[in-house]
Amino acid sequence: MRLQRPPPRAPMETIIAMIDVVFFLLVFFMLIGRMDASAPFEVLPPLGLSGSDLPAGGLIIAVAPDGRQALDGVEMDADAIIATLAARAADEPALPVRVNAHHAAPLSLVLPLLSRLEAAGLRDIGLVVTPNPP
Amino acid sequence: MRLALPQPPRALISLVPLVDVLLIMLVFFMVTSTYLDLDMIPAAERSEDAAAPMPAQAAPGGAGMLLIRLAPDGRPWLRGQALDAGALAAALDAHRRAGPDAAVSVLASPRADVQALVTLMDAVNDAGLTRLRVLRTEGVP
Repeated sequence: MRLQRPPPRAPMETIIAMIDVVFFLLVFFMLIGRMDASAPFEVLPPLGLSGSDLPAGGLIIAVAPDGRQALDGVEMDADAIIATLAARAADEPALPVRVNAHHAAPLSLVLPLLSRLEAAGLRDIGLVVTPNPP
Repeated sequence: MRLALPQPPRALISLVPLVDVLLIMLVFFMVTSTYLDLDMIPAAERSEDAAAPMPAQAAPGGAGMLLIRLAPDGRPWLRGQALDAGALAAALDAHRRAGPDAAVSVLASPRADVQALVTLMDAVNDAGLTRLRVLRTEGVP
């Protein structure tokens, strides 16, 4: 007598290969991306070849060409930014602050901001540039 | 006659929810990350600069100090003449040979844009000069 056995289950290899690929993609995107808070407006930093690698961490002030400013993704005016940072600088003068200004922003928005940050007691201030713009 | 067929072995843990979670994490990281290559130019006065003060501001035409004016259109001016990139590089190179304490001051127009200042900073850096100070005018233009 010949018994009809049920066909064996489909092998699990296909889904395991997919998990491998997804893991690779996940690690790849985690490594090459930065998880900085992005400003509520578009900021394209200026092209500059003489910068050093931007270290992770720190607060980022975004400056739009029309004068809007944001601290770590939250839009606020310059006085509020300075007040917030001055309060934090009192405890932590080495707090890194990066000014990410749009390349077309006038210097009347950026240079006074840098002076005020320095006057607030911050010692680690940097201007964000990009060596290869999109 | 009834034959008891052996039950097919069950997978210990289903992998489908794992794939779901991984895909959600993958999409999350792809969407929230920024992939622009970012660099930084330090903008605060370093302590070693403060210890060794710049040459006197009162003598901007002196040997140790080169004063470059950044016009509102972004062009650098030196001694009353607008410079293109080549002339600027030549002037900065000649200034670097003037002495080890050669410094550059940039008087930036408030209406010039950030790109113009960074381009000028690049030129100064390419010329081998490391002491750069940016001056600004007070008040609204």
